[in-house]
Amino acid sequence: MNGFEHATPGIVVLLLVAVALFLWELRRVRAGYSHFIRRIPGVDAVEAAVGRCAEQGRPVMFTTALTDVGPVLYACIGILRAVAKKVAQYKLKLIVPQYSPEAMAVVEDGVRAAYQDAGRGSSFDPQSLVFLSGEQFAFASGYMGLMHREKPGAAFMFGVFAAESLVLAEAGQQVGARQVAASVSPEQVAFFVCTCDYTLIGEELFGASAYVSREPVQVATLAAQDRFKLLICGVIVVGVVCATIASLHPELSIVMPHELLLSGWEVFGK
Amino acid sequence: MTQKQADIRTRCVRIATFLGGLYFFLYFVAPQSVVSQFGIDKLDEPISNGLSIVGTMAFGLGLLNIVSAHGMRLAFGRAGWFYSLTLLGGLVSTVVITTSQWMESVSTSRQIRSVQIVGEFAARIKDDAAVSHGGVSQDVQNARIIKQSGDVPLVPTRVAALVRYAESEVATMRNVVAHETHRDLRDAGTTQLIRELDADLSAFTELVRELSAESSRETTMTPGQESLLERVSRDSTKIASTYALIIRADRNHALSQRLYDLLYNGLFNQLGSAMFALLGVYIAAAAYRAFRIRSIESALMMTAALVVMMGQISFGRMLSEELPSMRQWLLEVPNSAAFRAIRLGAGVAGLLLAIRMWLSIESSTNSSEHT
Repeated sequence: MNGFEHATPGIVVLLLVAVALFLWELRRVRAGYSHFIRRIPGVDAVEAAVGRCAEQGRPVMFTTALTDVGPVLYACIGILRAVAKKVAQYKLKLIVPQYSPEAMAVVEDGVRAAYQDAGRGSSFDPQSLVFLSGEQFAFASGYMGLMHREKPGAAFMFGVFAAESLVLAEAGQQVGARQVAASVSPEQVAFFVCTCDYTLIGEELFGASAYVSREPVQVATLAAQDRFKLLICGVIVVGVVCATIASLHPELSIVMPHELLLSGWEVFGK
Repeated sequence: MTQKQADIRTRCVRIATFLGGLYFFLYFVAPQSVVSQFGIDKLDEPISNGLSIVGTMAFGLGLLNIVSAHGMRLAFGRAGWFYSLTLLGGLVSTVVITTSQWMESVSTSRQIRSVQIVGEFAARIKDDAAVSHGGVSQDVQNARIIKQSGDVPLVPTRVAALVRYAESEVATMRNVVAHETHRDLRDAGTTQLIRELDADLSAFTELVRELSAESSRETTMTPGQESLLERVSRDSTKIASTYALIIRADRNHALSQRLYDLLYNGLFNQLGSAMFALLGVYIAAAAYRAFRIRSIESALMMTAALVVMMGQISFGRMLSEELPSMRQWLLEVPNSAAFRAIRLGAGVAGLLLAIRMWLSIESSTNSSEHT
């Protein structure tokens, strides 16, 4: 068995713990348990930014950039729906430039649903979703063009970004758009911190949707992921202690947590 | 759509999602032996094909979106119609040029293949004769017998067919040589190749005639015929490779190829590079804004950036010998810790969201269902 291609028993146990934690939290939240969710300034700024567009009569731009269909896209759609709902209520123009054709179909569904939630389903314009290109810099160039032509009052950049992140953010900066960005790519966070008004870092992107909606499923996910991270932090602490003891007392044969986690299925015999 | 139909549709989507997710889950968690034993790995190809099909369909959706969004703007003369016209013009010309370039390349491959067949045919006749003489191992004989399930003509008939086919291919290649000789070829290498091919074709024509004469004298395979067939096979392989180089060089001068090069190498790649080059300018502008000291955080960031930048260049070493090691420490300790924390948080969050998607435990925020 190749440990790099297939999960080890330790990883399977961790996966099952994650599932169990999530189901347990979901049950608790549905039963009425209320979790505290800390304030995320970047998400608070979303409503203010859309309100600013309403005052100035400027459109709102939201891009999921290079995000393909997957968990990150679904996390982005949570925020997109909140933005689109506000846009529909304020009767503003929404522009959603797209990079991935697969993601576009999912995003369109989300935006349409947001308009319906706002009671303005008939105002939804499918052409607000603009497929630009499936090529990174062609997409960036199309985005810049749209930004300079439409001059949106607010630009939201949520999802997966690569080298084009600074090009997109600078284009928004040039037209004076209020910008909120969220990326799971640590390399791009620095660029967003420099160019955007608010930046959501890493997992805040996933937490933002729960923060906005306070829906049981999303809150349960957030709580479960926090507990799971605590568990991993515990494993790290145990690992540090074990490694320290092993270095101080080499005569002791201490089994490291990572060795337990990465042992293959052969420990159970053939 | 009635409520009942909508419910059925939702249920079907959930079942498909669960089954699809189950495959990947089992493939990831189960040991390799279990994956093979239950035939889970055999599903890999159909699932990959299915994903490709969905991806292609989605790409069609993207194309439809472009055509409808920009076509409407152009048709109704809305603001920015000129940009739409440029985009649609670019789209159509790209499709036309790429298609014609692709067709040219298919045609070239066919031309080369038809010459290669001469050699393969000659080798096959020789091998089949060796099988009938028992000159090859039993395994090879069995393989040949399995392959030759139909009626195989006698050796003279096959050699005659080979001769006819080789002569027609030689005539085609001679036409190409004549055409290329009269062209204004700037490439000295190609001119040399044409000369070589011309000489090779003359020798090959003689060889084919010799084979034809030998075959007409004998009704069975003779050692002389075998030797000639082997030479035909060897020479035609050499001719095919020279011919391939010539017609590929010729194709580079074709209009479709030149337009294709202009479009991709001359325009598309250059524009992409230009966009990438903008980053250099934007980094300076963004750094200027970010490094203005407005708070403790920005002061800290500026200090860290200054140390990293100075530690990177030789001027920094002139200022202090410690700067490179400070830079290294900043990158390897605080920076790596922050990166790992972000990646861990995002990874765990992504994992739980993926589990939620797999089990279709969706919030109304991520679902298009309405009550």
